[in-house]
Amino acid sequence: MAYSDKVIDHYNHPRNVGQLDKSSIEVGTGLVGAPECGDVMRLQIKVNPETQVIEEAKFKTFGCGSAIASSSLATEWVKGKTVDQALEIKNTDIVKELSLPPVKIHCSVLAEDAIRAAIGDWKKKNGVGEQTATAVPVVAAD
Amino acid sequence: MNAACWSCGSAVPAGKPWCDACGKVQAPLESVDFFTVFSLPRKLRIDMTALERTFYRMSRKLHPDLYAQASPEERQWSLDQTSQLNDAYRTLKDPIARTEYLLRLEGVEIEAGKSDDGKPRDSRVPPDLLEEVFELNMQLEEMRMNRKMGEDDPQLRADLEKARTQFESQLAAVDTGLEALWASWDETVDSSAAKSDTGNIKGEIVALLDRRRYIRNLVRDVNEALET
Repeated sequence: MAYSDKVIDHYNHPRNVGQLDKSSIEVGTGLVGAPECGDVMRLQIKVNPETQVIEEAKFKTFGCGSAIASSSLATEWVKGKTVDQALEIKNTDIVKELSLPPVKIHCSVLAEDAIRAAIGDWKKKNGVGEQTATAVPVVAAD
Repeated sequence: MNAACWSCGSAVPAGKPWCDACGKVQAPLESVDFFTVFSLPRKLRIDMTALERTFYRMSRKLHPDLYAQASPEERQWSLDQTSQLNDAYRTLKDPIARTEYLLRLEGVEIEAGKSDDGKPRDSRVPPDLLEEVFELNMQLEEMRMNRKMGEDDPQLRADLEKARTQFESQLAAVDTGLEALWASWDETVDSSAAKSDTGNIKGEIVALLDRRRYIRNLVRDVNEALET
């Protein structure tokens, strides 16, 4: 199976690799894993407290090329969006953008999970509840 | 559940590849599970010697060469039965593949991430395991990077060797845990235990299999780093 050019590009030149200060109140951290393939992905966002715009995003992924590309793309996409806009990113958008084959769809799911987990962490830190009608639980109960 | 032999009309137990009365090959059933192929209960500990012996005995009996002169249907059935037998043997002889297969038979979903409709899945990986795996990966990556940058530093090699020993012993610990769970599972099969008991065991097996995949990847990565 061949990777698409976009996957290869993200794999060779991953965007926004790194980490943000986990202890900062403005930073949300999402650590997720795909047990079926043994991938782990950490995605972090830095949110402007005034505007709720994600100003910075970093990731670190241990996994296959598709998992790295999916998380790299996810950091690119969340940057500049508000928290609520970022929650609208769907794994299917990532699949389309990267032309992921069916066996790699779970990589995009992982990236979406990572965005949700990071935003969930940020909301928890900042006491932001789920005011919207769509009561999708984004934070797993402790 | 029996079916009638197409040739002599005798009763043939479901999944039995041939008729005991007349010896004719039967049409394979799609729905037959791999344990039934070998007339085994759904247990996780298997006598490997007996399994191998049965496999060779059945292979000889079903071998397509024996059906060269038979009717086209029988020829096809011997092919299909042989291929089913091979699949069953390959799955059951590997303890991990066998465990995953049994869980699937028992209705446990191993492959997560199937929801491509964007619905959040229930993530079942415990956070502390993720933290641990992430940390181990970070350490391993640092060692590999350092090794790539500089000359073959004996200290780094020693660190990697140490990491390998550590991961391998973790893998061994997981396997020991799995063996204990296999034994518990097999006991519930014998005692027809309550649903809640079997449910708990299944959950624990799934968790250990998840952990095993992560650690196996770490072992693989550290071995790769040591080879280059």
